[in-house]
Amino acid sequence: MKTTPPTVYIIDDEHAIRDSLALMIAQENIPVMTFESAEAFLAVCPQECYGCAIIDYRMPEMDGLQLQEELAKRNISLPIIFLTGHGNIPTSVKAMKAGAIDFLTKPVRREKLISVVTNAMIESERTLTESASCKEAEKCIATLTEREYDVMLLAIQGHHNKDIARKLGISHRTVEIHKSNIMHKTGANHVLDLARIAHKSGLKE
Amino acid sequence: MAYPLQNLSFQTLFDAVADAMLLISNTGHVVQANTASQQLLGYTAQEIIGLEVEALIPEGYRKHHHHHRVGFIKNPEKRAMGSGNDLSVLTKDGKELAVDIGLSPIHHESELYVLITFYSVFKRQEVERALRISEERLRLAKKAAGLVVFDFDEKLKMHDENEALMAFWGSDSDKNNQNNKNVSVIHPQDKAIRDSAIRDAITPTGNGEFNVEYRVINLADNSIHWVSATGKAHFKDGRATRLLGAARDITEQKILEKKLQDQHAETETLFAKEVATQTASAIAHEINQPLTAISAYSEVALHALEQDKIDSSSLKRALEGCVTQAQRAGGSLHELLAFLQKGELIKDLLDINEVVKEALVIAKNYGYYDFYPLLQLESNIRPVLANKTQVLKILVNLLRNGVEAMRGAGISSSAISITVRTNANISMAHVTVQDVGPGLSDAVAKRIFEPFFTTKPRGIGMGLAISRTLAEANGGQLWLDPDIKVGATFHFTLPFAK
Repeated sequence: MKTTPPTVYIIDDEHAIRDSLALMIAQENIPVMTFESAEAFLAVCPQECYGCAIIDYRMPEMDGLQLQEELAKRNISLPIIFLTGHGNIPTSVKAMKAGAIDFLTKPVRREKLISVVTNAMIESERTLTESASCKEAEKCIATLTEREYDVMLLAIQGHHNKDIARKLGISHRTVEIHKSNIMHKTGANHVLDLARIAHKSGLKE
Repeated sequence: MAYPLQNLSFQTLFDAVADAMLLISNTGHVVQANTASQQLLGYTAQEIIGLEVEALIPEGYRKHHHHHRVGFIKNPEKRAMGSGNDLSVLTKDGKELAVDIGLSPIHHESELYVLITFYSVFKRQEVERALRISEERLRLAKKAAGLVVFDFDEKLKMHDENEALMAFWGSDSDKNNQNNKNVSVIHPQDKAIRDSAIRDAITPTGNGEFNVEYRVINLADNSIHWVSATGKAHFKDGRATRLLGAARDITEQKILEKKLQDQHAETETLFAKEVATQTASAIAHEINQPLTAISAYSEVALHALEQDKIDSSSLKRALEGCVTQAQRAGGSLHELLAFLQKGELIKDLLDINEVVKEALVIAKNYGYYDFYPLLQLESNIRPVLANKTQVLKILVNLLRNGVEAMRGAGISSSAISITVRTNANISMAHVTVQDVGPGLSDAVAKRIFEPFFTTKPRGIGMGLAISRTLAEANGGQLWLDPDIKVGATFHFTLPFAK
């Protein structure tokens, strides 16, 4: 399942609803999978899971909100769309606060569902790209030597080469060589770019 | 012909009498004294005969007595002495005894004698004392119970008109009582109720019972008091001659009763509302699920047609889904209805007049007591074939609506008329319930039978919807009279037993 394309996961205890919504989404040529319970979904849901989840808010065993919590606990950042028979404000607020991207009331119109799903897929794509670029940055930073890393830390804090040389007790020229290597290894064009990559890699100041 | 006691001597008879007797001459001297009088006065026969009668009178009254005695001798007649005053007689040893005295003149051989009879006053005094105690007890009891007794003559004029009673009874108008602040005025809304109760009580064909509760307004502070009056009419020659009974202030009791009834009604409403919410929510879920699927399947089919990308297997799946789900929704509804009407509807032969009377009692017990029922029943109406509980429910619902409408308009305690008749056109029992409330606007009238439609702030809007369903389940109909604009008028019919 590692290379699963972005997919819409429908989790609803009602067969007819799973089936009809799946047909609707499949018409848009979006990959779709259906599950009859939260437990069934969790059993097969991979860590690397992209797309979005349409979750029935009211289910017999684990309900929608509990599934949302469980996914968060597992660090699965899947955009969630809740389906509810009668949306009341407190429950929808609670769900939205916990990160649901929408709360749809049954019966749901095709147009609305497709637009919400499309947005969710874009959101998921963005998250995916983001996390890919983070991983890239992390890799780059990891190739730096210890001394280069120290130089980078000082450089992104805005110190000039002269200061860096003095602080680290090395020559101005050496700092220049380190910096050139750093820029080469990370692919950064200038210090600001370097700072962005360093942040993305998860560096904390 | 010889009588058995022909030879009984005067002396024997005289001595045998239980009351003390003295025979005195016209000069006032004792000539005969019977045994009882000797015992009473403490004299022997020898001692008492020849005594002047004043010797037997306490000293303070002797002169007075002598005067009266002379007068009596001149104009003798049989009478009681002292006419109601407490009299006493003096015994030989100086004791004064309370007695009643009777005087009988006896003419014998041209002489006038007077027979004096002493009736021991002890018993009379004892009775009087007992009566006084009893009256005092009654007075205390009436005071403790807050009871006031009333007593009317045949013209409904009050005997013994007193303030305590006036404060209770409530006069008809305050016009004559401007200066008397102790008098209450009967509450205008309750006047009809009390008048009708009196009328019923004094109807010679009735049982004479008088039982009514009504309100009076105290003119001193404009406070409203509830009065409960109970009594009985007395009849003579087929006419009521007297209405006697007691009235009691039951304001506190009424307040408490109302509080309890309100609480009861509130609990009932909350409960009914909760049940309605649960039921409605269950129905909503049962229907919304298939609707959601039908909607989605239909849009899938529609979209396929619009896009001209008809994949016949998907289209078939979508349309089959629609059919299955529509069937499922219908099935759920039937199941639900079957559940609500669990068990077979048991119909009995009912006297609709009796059911109406029972519904009045139930409505009052449910806290809908503040109305005056005007019953127009058709006696000897044919029995209807219906489920009694359901008919009662219809009636109580209609009464409740009427009472609440009138309460809302601030005219509670007004009349709700209930008419029972045979509708010859359709050969059914026809019941009409009419209040004098504000009635229904055309907009409201149009929606009044819709489930969950209500005009009441705390209503759930199921009453009339259920009532109509029940009337129909029993083979009848229920409808709102669109033409009568005074108050709201509802009719329902029930089939007669074949």
